[in-house]
Amino acid sequence: MLNVKKEFGHFQAVDHVTLNIEPNEFFTLLGPSGCGKTTLLRMMAGFETPTSGEILLDKRSIAGLLPNERPINTVFQNYALFPHMTVAENIGFGLKMLGRSRAEIAPIVEEMLRLVRLEGAGDRPVTKLSGGQQQRVALARALAPRPKVLLLDEPLSALDLKLRQSMQIELKRLQAETGITFVFVTHDQEEALTMSDRIAVMSKGRVLQVGSARDIYEHPADRFVAGFIGETNFLEGAIVEAKGKVARVRLKSGADVAAAMAEGLPTTGDVTIVVRPEHLQIAADKDAALCATVETVVYFGTDSHVHLRLADGSPVIVRQQNRRDGTRPPDVGAEVGLSIPDGVAQVLKD
Amino acid sequence: MAEIKDMQRLDDARRRLLTLPAVLFILAFAALPLLVVLAYSFMKPATYGGVEWQLSADAYVGFLFQKDIFDDSLTFSSEYLLIFARTFLFGIATTVVCLLIGFPTAYYMATRPPQTRNWWVLLITIPFWSNLLVRTIAVMFIIRDEGLINTVLLSLGVVDQPVTMIFTDFAILLGLFYSFLPFMILPVYASLEKLDFRLVEAGYDLYASRFQVLTRIIIPLTWPGIATGSLLVFIPSFGAYVTPLLLGGGRHLMIGDLIALQFGSSRNWPLGSAFSMILMAFVMLALFFQIRKNAGGVSHG
Repeated sequence: MLNVKKEFGHFQAVDHVTLNIEPNEFFTLLGPSGCGKTTLLRMMAGFETPTSGEILLDKRSIAGLLPNERPINTVFQNYALFPHMTVAENIGFGLKMLGRSRAEIAPIVEEMLRLVRLEGAGDRPVTKLSGGQQQRVALARALAPRPKVLLLDEPLSALDLKLRQSMQIELKRLQAETGITFVFVTHDQEEALTMSDRIAVMSKGRVLQVGSARDIYEHPADRFVAGFIGETNFLEGAIVEAKGKVARVRLKSGADVAAAMAEGLPTTGDVTIVVRPEHLQIAADKDAALCATVETVVYFGTDSHVHLRLADGSPVIVRQQNRRDGTRPPDVGAEVGLSIPDGVAQVLKD
Repeated sequence: MAEIKDMQRLDDARRRLLTLPAVLFILAFAALPLLVVLAYSFMKPATYGGVEWQLSADAYVGFLFQKDIFDDSLTFSSEYLLIFARTFLFGIATTVVCLLIGFPTAYYMATRPPQTRNWWVLLITIPFWSNLLVRTIAVMFIIRDEGLINTVLLSLGVVDQPVTMIFTDFAILLGLFYSFLPFMILPVYASLEKLDFRLVEAGYDLYASRFQVLTRIIIPLTWPGIATGSLLVFIPSFGAYVTPLLLGGGRHLMIGDLIALQFGSSRNWPLGSAFSMILMAFVMLALFFQIRKNAGGVSHG
């Protein structure tokens, strides 16, 4: 659907990005600020023109169309509601501009108000609404003309945590109910993981990996993706043996680990392996292959994060569930053994 | 609690005291002269200027009627009324032209990068550095028969007779437009600069054409600036004196000239005062509508 490049002067904001977004999909562009995700979104909306490349919608190029000619609507970061109009006038604006009659617009506005749970608020001025309510109006306004694609530019970033979490669920529900393709932009990895069907992780104008939340979390394509999504341990080592999709890696601290390895990676030499904190296990056995010293223990309610240091000085985090059976996290300063179960570690492309 | 309230009251009283110099000044130099003019308009003219201290509504009657010299009968006379109407039309025309030219200019300024905007504001205000009279005479030099435009046109052979521009209605309109354009540009610019251009994008995103974005989003949101600018242009051009006198050649009177005439060679101070009062009533009416319109609409600071 998309194959574009955008330059501002010599700065490549979007660098040869090719994406294929499926109909009825909740697709997220995830990346740190300045990675080009908003620029990409603005190109889809028509506010920016690609320096080169194509944007296809249903196999037809829309690159030459003005924003008001594209069946695509946007929910803006700060909502951009029209302050001189009521809630209903805001929601009906798109339909009115499309030349629909008042009799046609009114029931759709009512339906939209119901959809975003703002029944009866139609006559209120938008300036009198709370942040969460404005957010809903912005959604309803963008959904009312039934666009083929809805673009959402960090729409939840201005809301507080509680509201943000309930809006995440709300958005997911709206997407399922309307069947409209959502393209969501965010720098919040948690937001991306909880809502998306598929995620494209971006950095410096490039797309590094596209996949489902599970894919990206469990099989990050490279160091950036692994580090950006969730917490991760990076361990240095060298391959001693590579057999098919599994490599035996000898860590610098001396232990051997079996790690999954994607095809096409070099089968010898120094590598970095990645292990998620919840996959590591602390053993009381001090004679384990991998030994570490406990530095800090942070209590998080459902789990505790144990910060450790390996013999070679590299830091490791282990996430332990707090159960009621009496298992407690180790004391600070204790020497403990670490075990890495087979199949949880992965060799990274550097 | 009572103490806090007392303190607040004291504080308020002190603050009110701060406005005293301004209030006194306005009373002495604005309200008092106005009262004098109001009083004069209800008196009889003295033979050599000034007024006779006799109550009379003659001046106001004289605005609409002419007194027969022999039998004192009143006949309707539209002369002054026509001058009023003419002036009113000039005021409206100046406002419309200023808006048509000023709005796009202000829009251009407001869409420049922030660093360059102040330079544009400076450029717009430069004409204010010189006197209105000087600027008006400068316009004369440009448009008179031997002026810049005609010299160029003649030497290029576009025309073989100078195009008469000076001492026409066109000249008056041009002069008024030139004098008061900044009064339109600056308030419109101020409100355009505050306009959130993401709203414009939202408009395009929701299928509005350029024209619809202008009429349904930009104009409603900058209406306070447009209204202020229009008043700031309309009021002074309605009462303009120098510009119509110099550029119109005094052939067609405007109210400003008419009032000056009554205090000058006609020596009819009451009539001049009455004209001033009528002029002011019109302006107040315009202000009143502006305030009511602003209060009625949604405020968007």
